[in-house]
Amino acid sequence: MAKLNCNGQTIREINSSIRKCISVGESVAVESPGARHNLGVALLGSGEVTFQGSVGYYCGGLMDGATIRIRGNAGWGLAESMLDGQVIVEGNAGNSAGAAIRGGTLVVQGDSGARTGVSMKNGLIIVTGSCGYMSGFMGQGGKMIICGDAAEALGDSMYETVCFVGGKIADLGNDAIVVDITNEDRAFLDASLRKHLPNTMLKNLPNGDNFKKVVSGKKLWNFDKSDWKTWEQAL
Amino acid sequence: MGTGSLIIMAKSGIESKTLQKSGTFSSRVIDDIQTKAASGIYRMRGYGTLRERHWATFDDLTFLPCSLTRIPLEGYREKCETKTVLGGRFAEQPIKLDIPIMITGMSWGALSYNAKVALAKGASQIGSSNTTGDGGMLDAERENSRTLIYEVLPSRYGINVHHMRMSDGIELTIGQGAKPGTGGLLLESKVSDEIAQKRELPIGVDQRSPARHPDMLGPDDMTIKIEELREATDWRVPIFVKLGASRVYDDVKLAAKAGADVVVVDGMEGGTGASPAIMQEHTGIPTLAAVCEARTALEDMGLYGTVQLIISGGIRDGVDVAKAMALGADAVYIGTAALIALNCNRPIYIEDYKKLDTEPHFCHYCHTGRCPVGVTTQDPELMERLPVDEAAERVTNLLRAMTLEIQMLARACGKSDAHHLEPEDMAALTAEASAICRVPLAGTRRVWGSSNT
Repeated sequence: MAKLNCNGQTIREINSSIRKCISVGESVAVESPGARHNLGVALLGSGEVTFQGSVGYYCGGLMDGATIRIRGNAGWGLAESMLDGQVIVEGNAGNSAGAAIRGGTLVVQGDSGARTGVSMKNGLIIVTGSCGYMSGFMGQGGKMIICGDAAEALGDSMYETVCFVGGKIADLGNDAIVVDITNEDRAFLDASLRKHLPNTMLKNLPNGDNFKKVVSGKKLWNFDKSDWKTWEQAL
Repeated sequence: MGTGSLIIMAKSGIESKTLQKSGTFSSRVIDDIQTKAASGIYRMRGYGTLRERHWATFDDLTFLPCSLTRIPLEGYREKCETKTVLGGRFAEQPIKLDIPIMITGMSWGALSYNAKVALAKGASQIGSSNTTGDGGMLDAERENSRTLIYEVLPSRYGINVHHMRMSDGIELTIGQGAKPGTGGLLLESKVSDEIAQKRELPIGVDQRSPARHPDMLGPDDMTIKIEELREATDWRVPIFVKLGASRVYDDVKLAAKAGADVVVVDGMEGGTGASPAIMQEHTGIPTLAAVCEARTALEDMGLYGTVQLIISGGIRDGVDVAKAMALGADAVYIGTAALIALNCNRPIYIEDYKKLDTEPHFCHYCHTGRCPVGVTTQDPELMERLPVDEAAERVTNLLRAMTLEIQMLARACGKSDAHHLEPEDMAALTAEASAICRVPLAGTRRVWGSSNT
């Protein structure tokens, strides 16, 4: 595994070095990331990069195919607009983690901030802790698994994103509804958690039977003047 | 004659055929109230503001060609440069255009496939650029664009790093002149199978795009976002920041401080495929005012000439472009004018205008998806009415004619480069235009509102 120390290097130099490794499928350990912004942006390839500390905004943004592991916390917009790949944060993630992702998997092994999964189009987001308000806002597709609690306005104005919540839901957003969980969902939850989380974490998490499933009620998909009660907050 | 007079005349048996309409409750207002009373929702439509223009516009300025104080260039002979370079502040490969008129971002969804491809071809044939819009990039758009600007919008529909890296510039869109502070709108009839798939939405929804970016809020976040976009494109292409014209002076300063190479300011006359009508009529400031505020902002930062300024919103001809350039714009975007060149509001297929309760020159029904001329529709039969190559030729012709108009005015003002046009080449025809543009009122030596005159 290649090693790279961020001290004394610009973001451009750091990313350039990371990309050289990723493009040929090589793994790289990045030391002293210093919570700097835009680390590991637009990584196109199958290699793996490990940040040995916290990262700032937009880490893993616009990536396609790589694997990123963060041994620390992450700032806003983690993995935003990811097409494919895997991002694992061993700490917490700031606001808008997984914003607008179109594929891939984001795993937050702690809590994640407001608007987690906002405008996500596809892919999978797993948060082992709790998530902030308006998570799943305008989600268009993909799945989000929140093992802990979800703050206010969960799943507001969603299209086809499916949210699973293992803890308490403070409040559902506009047009978000809780529906029965199916056997298929349970199997998906158990398989996803087993696949993406270490065994040491699994024993403390709810199993598939204990999740609530939140989807769109589809009442805001088309303007409908006859249902004013639903629309008064959404027009 | 007042209503009281009519009553007296009626009582006295004197017949009168004088009808008087309320100045407050005009026909338009009555129609608006009764439509809302029936629907229970605000009105939505496309096209842009329909208001009569009582505010200062480019028409309130006139050029002062050379006579004795300055020497003109030969109008039909001598060279007048129109080449335009955008984005040299930080980008390694600035955009180089042959003309200062560019095609603005309009989505595949709002526009038909044929319209998008025709705009790309039409712009490329004369060395101009095209912009993607809210819905991602079309392969045919890339193939047919000499210079393609990739828009990054709050919705992030179809966001794709590979497309971004294939582009010649990136436009981070914060707002739009027709409806600053709101997101896009694409009604059910236009969310076809193809459009839904491209945007990753259910088929047939009334798609309302977000007003804010999902992963940034204020200008500090945007500074980091701009760096992210540069990293994603290896610092190669220019980053534009597009603003709807509202608090232009402050917004332009913030965009420039955040690291934009180019700032785009879209005035209230700008068009849209669909939006609540009130947003089009009652939000934002006019394009003329916007260009003046934007220039002042860049000058006050010492960045005028370093950060390029693109102006858009209701630009109709080369005269508007020349005036915008004289006031400080490096280039302009056109949208509605380009659609009109494609055939928008052309008097053909009259029966289909009638089905929309309208007629040519009055149509603003882009939001319905029933565009009679195949420009703003996803209906394959309607789209066939817009053959790509012929439509592209008309776009090229319009851009060529507008460029000739710019050169004509520039040469008459003694300029060998259209970018050398300056405020001193113009006089204001109204006190308002004088005050806004800081150009003397014709017939005086005064700049209205200036403290030292």
